[in-house]
Amino acid sequence: MTHWTPRPAASPTPAARRARVIFAGIGLAVSALASPRAVPAQTESARTSFVVATGDEATVPIPTLLEGGSVANRDVADQLFARLGQLGPTLITSGDRAFEPLLARSWTRRDSVTLAFDLDPRATWHDGKPVTAEDVVFTFRRARDPAVSPGLANLLRRIVSVTAEGGRKVVFRYTEPYGEQLYDAVFHVAPLPAHLLASIPAESLAYAAYVQAPVGSGPYRWVRRVPGEFVELAANERFFLGAPAVRRVIFRKAVDGAARLNMLLAGEADATENIPAPPSNVARVSADKNLRVIPVPSPTLGYLLFNQRDSRDRNRPHPTLSDRDVRRAIGLALDRRLMVRAVLGNAGEVPYGPAPTTLWIRYGTPAAAPMNLREARRLLDSRGWTDHDGDGVREREGRPLTLSLIVPTSSPIRLQMAQMAQEQLRAVGVRLVLDQMDFRVYLERRDAGAFDVDFASTSLDPSPSGLGQGWSCQGLTNVARYCDPAVDSLIDAAIRTREGAGPAWHAVLRRIEDDAPAVFMYTLNYMYAVNRRFTNVRIRPESPWLGLREWTVGPQGARRPAGD
Amino acid sequence: MRRWLLRRALQSLVTLAVALVILFLLMHVLPGDPLSRVGEGRPLTLEQMQALRDRYGLDRPLVEQLWSFVVGLVHGDLGVSIEYARPVTGLVFERLPATLLLGGTVLLLNFTVGLWLGVRQAVRKDSPEDRWLTTLSLAGYATPSFWLGLVLAWLVGVHWRLLPPAGMRNPLLDAGGLAAVADVARHLVLPAITLSVVSIAGTMRYQRSAMLEALRFPYILTARAKGLTERQVLWHGWRNALFPVLTLFGLWLPILVSGSVFVESVFAWPGLGSLAAAAVGNRDYPLLMGAAILVAGMVILAGFLTDVAYALLDPRVRYS
Repeated sequence: MTHWTPRPAASPTPAARRARVIFAGIGLAVSALASPRAVPAQTESARTSFVVATGDEATVPIPTLLEGGSVANRDVADQLFARLGQLGPTLITSGDRAFEPLLARSWTRRDSVTLAFDLDPRATWHDGKPVTAEDVVFTFRRARDPAVSPGLANLLRRIVSVTAEGGRKVVFRYTEPYGEQLYDAVFHVAPLPAHLLASIPAESLAYAAYVQAPVGSGPYRWVRRVPGEFVELAANERFFLGAPAVRRVIFRKAVDGAARLNMLLAGEADATENIPAPPSNVARVSADKNLRVIPVPSPTLGYLLFNQRDSRDRNRPHPTLSDRDVRRAIGLALDRRLMVRAVLGNAGEVPYGPAPTTLWIRYGTPAAAPMNLREARRLLDSRGWTDHDGDGVREREGRPLTLSLIVPTSSPIRLQMAQMAQEQLRAVGVRLVLDQMDFRVYLERRDAGAFDVDFASTSLDPSPSGLGQGWSCQGLTNVARYCDPAVDSLIDAAIRTREGAGPAWHAVLRRIEDDAPAVFMYTLNYMYAVNRRFTNVRIRPESPWLGLREWTVGPQGARRPAGD
Repeated sequence: MRRWLLRRALQSLVTLAVALVILFLLMHVLPGDPLSRVGEGRPLTLEQMQALRDRYGLDRPLVEQLWSFVVGLVHGDLGVSIEYARPVTGLVFERLPATLLLGGTVLLLNFTVGLWLGVRQAVRKDSPEDRWLTTLSLAGYATPSFWLGLVLAWLVGVHWRLLPPAGMRNPLLDAGGLAAVADVARHLVLPAITLSVVSIAGTMRYQRSAMLEALRFPYILTARAKGLTERQVLWHGWRNALFPVLTLFGLWLPILVSGSVFVESVFAWPGLGSLAAAAVGNRDYPLLMGAAILVAGMVILAGFLTDVAYALLDPRVRYS
């Protein structure tokens, strides 16, 4: 058979010439798209707009539907819906003095279980209708219905009734006297418009057209949601406390931290929540003359939680960790400051007890105990845990001091710290076996109590009463089944303290630290980045963009989109 | 022909049904509770969790869940997403345009640039151009998309500021019409290039070898002997060299709806891939099944279309 051998390159055929023209055209098109002329010029509208790169998308930003903990929904809802009042800068949740008026221009205490709110007569919904007492009554009726919003109903369980007295006065009655009555009335839920929602059954609200275009009473009104991309809000010109200077707010979604950072550094976003790890990214952002980095207290707390029950038989105490001295020894064997510095840099600190940086009760507490290897060894020796066979791991009655630590692979901070803890515990003869797993599997194991030690991370509300959920005997999130009646009574006493509750809460923290149901590893400040053209910037720890209506816009650091 | 088509279509439907059952079972075998995060911010009592399980039917026997899913599917109702609290059909379809745009662009680039370069290489076998393109295609094939995506986003988007590093459109752009189209096109360039580099390299390699093979057949010699022009000879050979590439096209076709998890993530492209990946992470069974049906359907449809195309293009393939 004769084979034809391809010829070497010849002069271009007409087809090849056409192809070259086509590909040259494509190249030109790409160049044109990348040219500055392809980008619309900086306009006044763009200058007064605020684009924030977020990791999630708001799909149901309605106060009574905010179950499941979507931060994006809460951030958007906080712009659309004004609460009765808001926490002041001290974030003190107990008592009545640290709050600022919002929809309610004032409140008065009638007795130890009754609070009356006077609504601001200037407040209106985005459709122009006035905000009335009936709206507040309607909202709390829905919010306290466990069938509609079970988590919210739990939080509002101490509210007995919410009634209207005329069109502008609302009266809250509570089950008992306690310090956070005002907080419960103003923090958890913002009023909804009864005139638009009363006809929609509570269970169908999530599917109603209202969710796709919510009408609120806040400083910003709904414009549009482009699925998977962004939510756009516009300044509410008729906002009763004055129209915001930032005219347009866009919550732009980018799940990946690197994509958010790129948007920010390329001038495609004006701000981002919590600059993603590693800490060197903070330096990159700081180096950009258009951006400023703002540390903000965070509600996040990371801790090694000791299971009090045997993971194989939950009716029996844990064979090793039910012993307080062993738990304390583990805490003393860890150099938490070193770990925090290595993993979180300047953003982190070691907490005293379960108190993240947003919790006001952390002020006035002592520093967390430093590493003390000698004391850790002494405690373990005193409990009969010694290394008989010289293999580096202590034993008692033939059982090695080996513990498994569950940690989700989704958290680089916890993974790094777990490895460091493993290494440090080796020095005192404790063998820590890391059990890394997918986040959902981790949650399942944690909730089932199937662990020795859990590297837990929680985000707490600004209220210390939330500590009862994790550290009281009947706490709903007490997966380790930690139970100390003394802690329960101290928490109850602190909750009931109406004014000056700080010392009562400090007693709770002290007792928990002494009993060592966990080693509190880190709390941190989030590092936010905001374009310098915004002034009067205040990022609020309980809801970062809540103060946006008070920001102003200056000429500095105008947005420089790609192509400029 | 009609009987063959009918039989092949029925086969595809059976394959889809089997795939659905397997996907459904596999998804429920996965460890992890879809409701485990519902009470994260606001803890729920055991009774309240039970009520949620009842609401989503998670406590019902697996067969019963499968049956109600199939009944819903027949009526076009894929259920409600646990994570987003919205109907799955709406969630999936609102992400479809972005996925189709990116996938379609990649397919277009792949099977125009890839084919053209592959043919060019074959025609100029062993020339410096062929050697350069071979090196480049191997380098492209060996380049991990995630690395390329990160580098392009940083270099072109952040460092040089030539093109947007993320997103699908500029949310501040108030203009419509051509300006809006150009804006989407600018955002499309980097993700499309990232995904295309690997696929074009593969197609080039396939096309080059298929074309070289085709050019060795005696009918090419006959064509030359008959005095056909070089263009006519190459056209003759290229049609026969298309068959292996057709298989490749069938394999790539599902990218139209499946998206690419990593590239969508790096460039914040609002496609189905990232939605499906989030659904896996969240164990959002209804949403995961919705996305899986679409992708499985597309894979099966692509196989069906490839077979039909073979049958139409190659008379040696019989309809039996």
